Amino acid sequence: MLRPSVTYRVYLGVNMQIAHYLNQFFGGVGAEEHAAMGLEIRDGAVGPGKVLESSLDGARVALTFVCGDNYAVERQDELTAAVLKKLREVNVDLFFAGPCFDAGRYGMAAGAIGRAVQAELGIPVVTAMSEENPGVDLYRDSLYIIDSGTNVTKLRDVVAKMAALGKKLSASEPIGLPAEEGYLRRGWLRDQLVEKKAAIRLVDMLLTKMKGEAFESEMPATSFAPVPIPAAVSDLSKAKVMLITDGGLVPKGNPDRIEGTAATRWGSYNVEGRDDLRAEDYEVSHGGYDTRFVQEDPDRLVPLDAMREMEKNGIIGKLHNEFISTCGRSNPLSNTRRLGREIAEKIKRDGVDAVILTST
Amino acid sequence: MFRTAASVDKVLRQGIRFRQRRDPFSVGWAEREEELMQLTLANHPITDLQFGSPTRLEGTVLIADPAELRRLVLTDGSIIGVDFDIVRPGEPCRAGPVFDIIEPRAKEPGAGTDFPGILGAPFTAGLGTTHVLRGAAVSVLAEISPDLTRSATGRVLEMSGAPIEASDYAALRHLIVIPHTKAGLARQAIEKVYRVAGLRVAVALAQSALNHLAAEQNTFQSVGPGESSHEGLPRVAYIGQIFSRQRKPAVDEPILYGANTDGMLPIMLHPDEWLDGAVVPSLHSWFGGTETYFYQNHPIILDLYRRHHAREINFVGTIATIAGSDNFDRDRHCRAAANLVKWNLQADGAVLSKYGGGLPHADLAETARLLENMGIRTAVMVSDVSRDRRVESALLFNVPEVDAIVYNGGNGTKWQVPRLDRIIAATPEFTELLAGPMTIDAANIVGVTNQQGASRMRAIVY
Repeated sequence: MLRPSVTYRVYLGVNMQIAHYLNQFFGGVGAEEHAAMGLEIRDGAVGPGKVLESSLDGARVALTFVCGDNYAVERQDELTAAVLKKLREVNVDLFFAGPCFDAGRYGMAAGAIGRAVQAELGIPVVTAMSEENPGVDLYRDSLYIIDSGTNVTKLRDVVAKMAALGKKLSASEPIGLPAEEGYLRRGWLRDQLVEKKAAIRLVDMLLTKMKGEAFESEMPATSFAPVPIPAAVSDLSKAKVMLITDGGLVPKGNPDRIEGTAATRWGSYNVEGRDDLRAEDYEVSHGGYDTRFVQEDPDRLVPLDAMREMEKNGIIGKLHNEFISTCGRSNPLSNTRRLGREIAEKIKRDGVDAVILTST
Repeated sequence: MFRTAASVDKVLRQGIRFRQRRDPFSVGWAEREEELMQLTLANHPITDLQFGSPTRLEGTVLIADPAELRRLVLTDGSIIGVDFDIVRPGEPCRAGPVFDIIEPRAKEPGAGTDFPGILGAPFTAGLGTTHVLRGAAVSVLAEISPDLTRSATGRVLEMSGAPIEASDYAALRHLIVIPHTKAGLARQAIEKVYRVAGLRVAVALAQSALNHLAAEQNTFQSVGPGESSHEGLPRVAYIGQIFSRQRKPAVDEPILYGANTDGMLPIMLHPDEWLDGAVVPSLHSWFGGTETYFYQNHPIILDLYRRHHAREINFVGTIATIAGSDNFDRDRHCRAAANLVKWNLQADGAVLSKYGGGLPHADLAETARLLENMGIRTAVMVSDVSRDRRVESALLFNVPEVDAIVYNGGNGTKWQVPRLDRIIAATPEFTELLAGPMTIDAANIVGVTNQQGASRMRAIVY
């Protein structure tokens, strides 16, 4: 949808038009006993929307959506569709939802609707929640969520922050860091030229740390849910075993065009009837290690020769007639999760009992 | 006065003879060495670089004689031809692929060897006076791409437009050296030729300053684990990776005093050794954000010196180490490095930097973890590995003790660079490839994603 820029609209003397989503409580309908109420669309500002208007000079809340918390989570798709339909009929510059504080159902609804409005209509969206609100983890990567804390009496401050951020977004102004704008960290990185060279920042950080003062690491530690160790293979001599590598071994010519960096593809290659991988049949698509030794003898990466021997000696039941290969170099998690899922689906389909993963 | 390679050798041989002389009545070399234990940089600011003859320094204008330099470069039988060019800050021109950038420096006669172990005998670097042509650079271009899985263009020197803000190299006057090697050489042999040619030209240029009075002389204050002048101040060390065994070095690959680092364990270096030619990048690292220029002007070492001079810290020394090829290798190096910092340097804190690609992050974090467990506080600097710009993809280690991390950026920045009429490249193919207009990743502009601490490009979490 093409809309005149805010600057142009201001030039024309048109006020910024806002749409706002509230739950039944902040919409002034009532508390938990009204949580089942369906969507109501009202003209003008309601409750926190009035604060929004006063924070945004010359802006006008054109529409307020009010909906019960239970209805919103139980019929989220329906609600989202109804909001989108209405917004397609009117012309708004900004969409606000909340603040939701620590109200979980409210946060989930605000996040779902906000994400759809932003993605499908291209309208900037700002919401607000406390860090513990379950809506934060689900929507922080797609939305600006102002940190509202849990104290509802701070509503005026929170709405003022939402308004300030919304104004910047609709004017396509650069958005500052979470601490500057008051939003919750979204989990993204962006490059910025800073005044101090890395070397100076490094020594600064160490000296602050040595003094026992608070220092800010430029990257927070990441933690991942532990991967449970699977049950042991009960009888290896009856198991179908498969070789998988992320070392980039591919047949000559790289038929699946597996990229040598951040591969988005993987391939499955037949080795039926072969006891050994010959150098002339394979190449390596991987720029992150010294591939000369694998190129000389591909069994060093995908040990078909050793596995065939184990097969002959009855140590394993059978070697699967294909091996899978991809390139693990510099691969972001959003990508490797998909690759892993696809590969797991395939080996499950193929009835493989155990996998040996070789890496580089 | 310009000196030929032969006259450089003559100077060095004189040094060797002097050292070998056993004359009980004269001042012995050992005493002289003691006297010279501090590095003095004699800085000659360079405001312009021009071609002319002979090679000389006229005030702040450096004149380079292409014929003389050609003769010097062609003493290497693997080089069949060499082209030279000059680029200046702000000129709309582009050069690439850049193999290395070197600051022209030359040792005063008797003060040791330029790039010891590579251009001459492996005497200790960092002693006596070294003349520096500040503001000038020698940049070597390659006839080959660094690594096709990364970029066809390799690293590019951009002298105008938006990228110049992000790279210190855009502010220098570069003598571009384009060696053409004979056919049939292995890749690493070609790279070795590039390395040596660049260093030779840089030294030859700087020798023009030897009989000039320097605009300023900087002598670094004495540092070391036993330095009594800074007692009571926090003892800080630096650990720098100088190679990653993701790749086996060539037999004759010069990295540390001309040695290829194979089989080495972490070693203590005086900070002045880094600054004065003891260490150069590996032959394969020209996509990796490590250039000779920033060993000579090592941002971390210079910042530690600055604070040592300001009596903020006691800079106790440095360790050069390498990233291992497997877990045994890694443990060996990390433990040895940590032990040197603990027992020999007796540091209270250490800053650590990495080399190369992804794998060395593991060595960096493990060394820091060991130090933290020894009670030595650490801060580490890593390169940007998040290709999807998500925080979850940003670190290659998950070590609770390693909690002070400086994060270089670059993976999220691309520049639109215009078509330029002046493209400097080794081959017509590269000239066409680099002509533009094109979109170029930040990492492919030389200097932007430097791993020696020179980068101002930061990936910020939001």
